[in-house]
Amino acid sequence: MISLRRKKSILAAVAVTSFALIASAVPANAEVGVSSTEIKLGTTVPMTGIAAPGYNKVAPAMKAYFDYINDNGGVYGRKINLIIKDDRYIPQEAINKTNELILKDKVFALVGQLGTANHLAVTSKVRIASRNIPSLFLNTGYSGFADVKKFKTSFMHFPTYVAEAKILSSYIKENFTGKKTCLLVQNDEFGADASKGFAAAGLTFDETVKYVSGTQSATTAQTWITRFAGAKCEVVVLFSVSSATAAALGVASAAGYKPQWILGSVGADSTTLRIALNNPQAQALLNGAIGVSFMPDALDTTDEYISLFREVNTKYSPGVAFDTNVLVGMNAAMLTVQALRAAGKNPTRRSLIAAMESKGSTFASAAYGNLAVSKTSRAGFTGYWFGKFNLAGALIPLDAGRTMYTTDSGTGPVTKASAKRAPLPAKGIPTNS
Amino acid sequence: MRQLIGTLLIGLTLGSIYSLMALALVLVWRSTRVVNFAQAGQAIVTTYIAYEIVTRTGVFWLAVLFAVVAGALLGAGVEYFLMRTLFRHVDEGPVAALAPVIATLGLLGVIKSLVGMIWGNDFRSFYPPVSTDNFVLFGETIPFSRFNVLVILSTTVVMIIFSFIFQRTDLGLSLRAAAFQPEIARLAGIRVGPIRTIGWVFAGVAGAIAGVLITPNDVLSPASLDVLLVFGFVAAVIGGLESLPGAVLGGVVLGIGVSFVLNYVGTTLIFPTVFVVLLLALIFKPNGLLGSKKVRSA
Amino acid sequence: MVCLDQRRCVVHKLSTKKAFIAYFAFGWLLLIVADRVDELRVYQGATIAVTTLAIASIILLTGYSGQVSLGQGAFLAVGAYAAALSQTYWQSPFWFTLLIAILVSAAFGFILAFAAGRMSGPYLAGTTLALAVGLPTLANQFSFLGGETGLVYDAGLPPERFGEEFTLYKWFFWIAAFVALIAMFLLRNLLNSRFGRTWKALRANSTAASLCGVNVAQSKITAFTISAGLAGLAGALLGMISIVAPSAFPLSLSFTIITGAILAGVTSLLGSMLGAVILVVIPEIADVIAHQFGDSEKITTNLPGFIVSVLLILTVLFSPNGPAEAMRKRKEQHAKH
Repeated sequence: MISLRRKKSILAAVAVTSFALIASAVPANAEVGVSSTEIKLGTTVPMTGIAAPGYNKVAPAMKAYFDYINDNGGVYGRKINLIIKDDRYIPQEAINKTNELILKDKVFALVGQLGTANHLAVTSKVRIASRNIPSLFLNTGYSGFADVKKFKTSFMHFPTYVAEAKILSSYIKENFTGKKTCLLVQNDEFGADASKGFAAAGLTFDETVKYVSGTQSATTAQTWITRFAGAKCEVVVLFSVSSATAAALGVASAAGYKPQWILGSVGADSTTLRIALNNPQAQALLNGAIGVSFMPDALDTTDEYISLFREVNTKYSPGVAFDTNVLVGMNAAMLTVQALRAAGKNPTRRSLIAAMESKGSTFASAAYGNLAVSKTSRAGFTGYWFGKFNLAGALIPLDAGRTMYTTDSGTGPVTKASAKRAPLPAKGIPTNS
Repeated sequence: MRQLIGTLLIGLTLGSIYSLMALALVLVWRSTRVVNFAQAGQAIVTTYIAYEIVTRTGVFWLAVLFAVVAGALLGAGVEYFLMRTLFRHVDEGPVAALAPVIATLGLLGVIKSLVGMIWGNDFRSFYPPVSTDNFVLFGETIPFSRFNVLVILSTTVVMIIFSFIFQRTDLGLSLRAAAFQPEIARLAGIRVGPIRTIGWVFAGVAGAIAGVLITPNDVLSPASLDVLLVFGFVAAVIGGLESLPGAVLGGVVLGIGVSFVLNYVGTTLIFPTVFVVLLLALIFKPNGLLGSKKVRSA
Repeated sequence: MVCLDQRRCVVHKLSTKKAFIAYFAFGWLLLIVADRVDELRVYQGATIAVTTLAIASIILLTGYSGQVSLGQGAFLAVGAYAAALSQTYWQSPFWFTLLIAILVSAAFGFILAFAAGRMSGPYLAGTTLALAVGLPTLANQFSFLGGETGLVYDAGLPPERFGEEFTLYKWFFWIAAFVALIAMFLLRNLLNSRFGRTWKALRANSTAASLCGVNVAQSKITAFTISAGLAGLAGALLGMISIVAPSAFPLSLSFTIITGAILAGVTSLLGSMLGAVILVVIPEIADVIAHQFGDSEKITTNLPGFIVSVLLILTVLFSPNGPAEAMRKRKEQHAKH
């Protein structure tokens, strides 16, 4: 007679064995987040809270472009499903939401994550690198993320703030030698990165003003302008976010102070600036300011990429004004589609990363130049062109050939070349492989 | 010398902004001994209403009227529906101190998310009614404009009107009595409930004016008045929560302190400065600059 | 069990030895549960442990000694930065960094308590609020504090003898739960000692207490110091599971903690775990509900916050002493009939 206890252990052994047999009989699972009908992608961005205005348009813009692609065959027949989660710009929340995306929603990859501290928290505590989870086209220019050793599976999109600062320095040295030059930066890694770039380029400022994110307003801007005017700055670089740039421009105009403004790319979206300047004569305040961009201006409807993205925006995000945030989102989405395609008909996370490394530099997008991504770098685009804002708030290139200033995030020189860009894929639908 | 004058003027402007929010908070405190964190929420709603009116009609003063009326109604509504229910359920003890804080914080969250649902989370703005160009004095531009004058004037007027009501009218006496000793006030025939509601109505009006005057110099989004709430509360505490002139004084002291640090020390020290100013004020006068020891503690 | 009525407590309170066994058993239960649930829940478990500890610090400070702090996040930040700095610059072993966190934070609380000694009620509240807003931004001033990107602070990888399957999150959970359990046990003993009784007397009526010989100022300072130390420990643990950067200590963190304390029942130590769980669970439920309304972008992004805030108001209105207390009251009422 077999004892009850033995019966139980035999039963258990049978159960375990059967399970193992069944499990091994099932064909090897497709990669996490990839099924025969869809590819799941995830992102965490600030959708509510103090950091939300502006940034909360990027992820929905990505979704709009993905919807467009889905309506046109998807990626090898699979629809892209972008899951957007709100992290309110808090690192703890970014970790929580990323955990949900990876463990609960089981996404294939992350795209367009926003916020430097947030992404650092995610990489160190969710450990996406050691789990081989790709995080494509980060929504930040922090130069640290270009380091492939520390951020094995993260891929940048924008040029880094260091590169941008070096490029601005180059232009200033060419055109404004001998003039008093001053700088407005944000008091965090955004500003620290910029300062690093300016130092690397050997540009020193006669007056530097740092502001604390969240405290910019017309009243605090009075302090900045008083300093700049007091130091008799002739050229002022505003390496700040839109609301701070707007405050500076507005207050300076009210004070009758008219230096040559140079706007960093982050705070230079003219649509946002026009709202933030809340002044009937807002257009005039931007007029004549010099700006940089790595993509065509969002208001440039003659550009083939811009006009396609505008069409997609009108159709899939009705009511949303097309501005730089939407452009950034759609650009990232277009690059993502190409990355997914390049990862093969049965993409895995490994093949996606390999595709980015080997083919990423050939992807087409609205940006000029190529992604500097490779096996040894996670950098994004590396060049800016210079333009001047006109009365309508559009950034007009300084020269017809649209000279691109290109550099790295280290001590490499700034090189100039005519802007080159892959033509728009037919109807804006990539067909690469 | 020029920098000094400029710093003082900027400080005065900042101060008047903080004072308006501080006035609203003190008005609520004086009538119900509650710190109303939802004040920022009430103010943001009324400001969005003002935004709608201004963008549709272009008349700033009409927008202010709508905002003030909405502020009054909203203040009354919050007191009647939320605070009364709260006080029915909360007795004495440490909960009595924290529960209103949490309740008003919750309300703040509710209002902000509702605002986001209706208007979205993006930036909005509306134009100031008068010029923001800096004055030119003896050939030098000073960091002061007609709009700044308007803000300072409004703060002063609001303070004078409400101070008058509180100190010189029967209504004011009832308000103060109802807050200080509600049981005795009831015995004296004062209808404590409606009186408290009036206190919140006044606060709502002050908050609405604050929101409408601050936004033209800034941008509007559901969370744009959050920082002001903190500064306003600190200003109210500095002044001593017991008096309206105290609220204004607190605001001015804070504003000038911040301005001095921004201009002479560093533009990045704004938040630590708030703490230091508050700490210094309270070390020397633990009940605030104009608070007096005769008031019951906590 | 912690009770408000001293007489009834004599019957119900567990002896210290029994409580130790209870805590120990609970700890084992947690370990077993951690093995059975998936990674997401394990990480949430670590978060709950950290939050519980932070809430406990408020229960001591406000529930027991009657002082209101609207800026507990500042002490969490101090603890976190102290721990991270000692790890980064002195290469201290992890357990030592936790000790540093407690000591530095307690010292900080001690200093503040002196300054705040004469402040009461809303004035203390305002000061702690300003502190919570002003302190984290100081990190941007000094580059050795890591600036906005912050310092990475970690507990290292789990020891190899735990095997390959032992994930990082489980390690977080083990550490956080273990530390929190010990701290809570010690706190429980403290609250049941004469210190606790003194604080309760203080909270009820400080004038009467001083007439009974209680040194009011000293008592308050002690409570503040210990509370700050606990909060600092919680902060270090938070830094371990997240990142030590200014944006990790926003004002909303302080508000979340006192919310948790209210949900816990501001005088109930056991309730603090309940409060922490509620804080983690409600946003998730809100998210699920919000996704049923997949229509407008504006609605889906703002709905979770709306639901959480509404639930919060309802809880405060209808059981301000915490759900645990509300249930107890109902039991009493039933018992009477």
